[in-house]
Amino acid sequence: MVETIIFVLMGLAAIAGAITVVMARNPVYSAIGLLGTLFAVAVLYVLQLAHFVAAVQVIVYAGAVLTLFLFVIMLIGVDKEENREENLRFQRPVVGVLAGVIVVMAAALTAFGDFDWVPASGAVIPEVTNGTIQAVAEPLFTDWVLAFEATALLLTIAAAGAIALAHYRRRESTDG
Amino acid sequence: MTWEIDYLALAPELVIVVTLLVVLALDLFLTRPNKYWTATAAVAGTALAAIPLVILAVEGENVSMFEGSYVVDEFALVLKGLFVVSAYLVLLLSHHYIESERFYQGEYYFLLLASVLGSLVMASARDLIILFIGLELTTGPLFLLAGWRKGDAKSNEASVKYFILGVLSTAILLWGMSMLYGLTGEITFAGLATATAGLADEPAMIVAVLFVIVGFAFKISAAPFHFWAPDTYEGAPTPVTAYLSVNSKAAGFVAFLLVMYLALPELSEIWAPALWILAAASMTLGNLSALRQSNIVRLLAYSSIAQAGFMLVPFAAAAVAGTNIEEGFSATVIYLVIYALMNVGAFATVIAGANRTATGDIDGWAGLGKIDARLGVLIGIFFFSLAGIPPLAGWFAKFAMFRAVILAGGTATVVLAVIAAVNAVIALYYYARVIKAVWLDDAPAEVPARAETPPSVSLRLALLISAALTIVIGFFPAIATFVGDASRIIAAGG
Repeated sequence: MVETIIFVLMGLAAIAGAITVVMARNPVYSAIGLLGTLFAVAVLYVLQLAHFVAAVQVIVYAGAVLTLFLFVIMLIGVDKEENREENLRFQRPVVGVLAGVIVVMAAALTAFGDFDWVPASGAVIPEVTNGTIQAVAEPLFTDWVLAFEATALLLTIAAAGAIALAHYRRRESTDG
Repeated sequence: MTWEIDYLALAPELVIVVTLLVVLALDLFLTRPNKYWTATAAVAGTALAAIPLVILAVEGENVSMFEGSYVVDEFALVLKGLFVVSAYLVLLLSHHYIESERFYQGEYYFLLLASVLGSLVMASARDLIILFIGLELTTGPLFLLAGWRKGDAKSNEASVKYFILGVLSTAILLWGMSMLYGLTGEITFAGLATATAGLADEPAMIVAVLFVIVGFAFKISAAPFHFWAPDTYEGAPTPVTAYLSVNSKAAGFVAFLLVMYLALPELSEIWAPALWILAAASMTLGNLSALRQSNIVRLLAYSSIAQAGFMLVPFAAAAVAGTNIEEGFSATVIYLVIYALMNVGAFATVIAGANRTATGDIDGWAGLGKIDARLGVLIGIFFFSLAGIPPLAGWFAKFAMFRAVILAGGTATVVLAVIAAVNAVIALYYYARVIKAVWLDDAPAEVPARAETPPSVSLRLALLISAALTIVIGFFPAIATFVGDASRIIAAGG
């Protein structure tokens, strides 16, 4: 019961934050909305007994990534007026209708689907609830070591590629 | 700790990893005029990666690692061979192009090799997480490479379009995968195959499978999820376009087929009709749009959308009919391999032709065959092969496709076969239009009789290899049949 209440509260908070991200006129508000969403999701992780993931979520996303966002926003300048003219005149009503369809679909799924999500169908919940770091680390460096190493490469790609694309050589302004 | 790593089985991937790190390190120390050594290292490393592949193929032993998540069997080896060969060809295409246009070289080869690594991982992946990371590794570098002509607005557009739609499709795919996991608690293909039995009526399962299909359809640019492809293909540097339409498409296809065939065989009543629609729509929309293109790269972009449709036909038909799915699967893989080899050649001729005539317009290529007969013949070979004219390799791909469809039988299948046949004729028209321009039209007076810069050695080598493969497979389809047999073995083992 408590779990359901917390889930509903945090779910709503996450959605409210997400809506703020999209709707806010001031980009700083958007960033703060994102912060709310990230925190709400972190609480949901705690609810799933994934304390380590929750901590990482707060430290990495809410801490580091969001600070970076705010830096970028400040560098670009918050007070600049954005061009909000829309070239596709019908996109708003169309998006509205599509969003409605998705909401109806989701409602129908929840109402008529008689399915069991994982915990009920017998997935393993880690026994040591205060030792989830170990529970995460062990499979990460044994069964999933390949995926782990490949992800490390992904980060290298992002770094090298971003520098190569953003770096600007003065003499080659036209043919980069 | 009961896990072991078979380093020989991982050797092709490890060779590529070492190569790409060497390339990145070399780039740091080389001075500007010597940067071409990074290309040499990349080409050499890719060639080296073929050696462990051959050793593994000769040994013929199936290796399964990480509790069945990573499998090296004949099917994986054949596809890895394809990825390595086509990557080798694309590197040959890139060499001169990247150097002469003064792009960043070290990072280019680093990113391209990382993408190759992703496709190698994908061919062996037998669970959703490794498959997903392989897919990201394949497409991630390409978002960046599509924008490699930094000063060009079209290249920027190509990169941004590909990135935004690619990320969106990834999100949808991941959502679908997480629902699959949430509903079954399984992440390996083998586990999913048993756990999804009897869940085909489950609404959440239908949504999950459809999300996965939409995600993959973006990656293989199947209609109606193809809108990024023509703009991205046109704006990206041409070797990157070749890579996009060959390696990354083939890798996406492999992942798509593996998930459907190995992980969700019990749910074929959900995905089979969806695949049927994707196949029919891709063929029709791709071909009809290709008819109106005046730019050769855009023409090939739409042609590759249409070819994706053709590739899906045998598998979709067999799955809809519910019979001979093995045949359908192997026909799709055969088509994929042949398509990759001839399409790389087609893009090589595009680079050579654009170099010769200084334009990408089909009209600008008028009379090219009279000026440069060898290039004209090569254009003829690759475009006729794409159209499926015997005795070039393309005919066998089409033959395998229709054979699988006939074996499957059933009304829906026959309808799909008719759509495919009509589309094959439409496709012949626009491929032949290029050949007509090259051979029958008169050359405009301003085209110089001799090329300013002759095609580089590496470009010639790429043309030679792909032309040889296209012709040899056309005459000896047994080579392609071997590929098909390898994919039938996965059917038994999976």
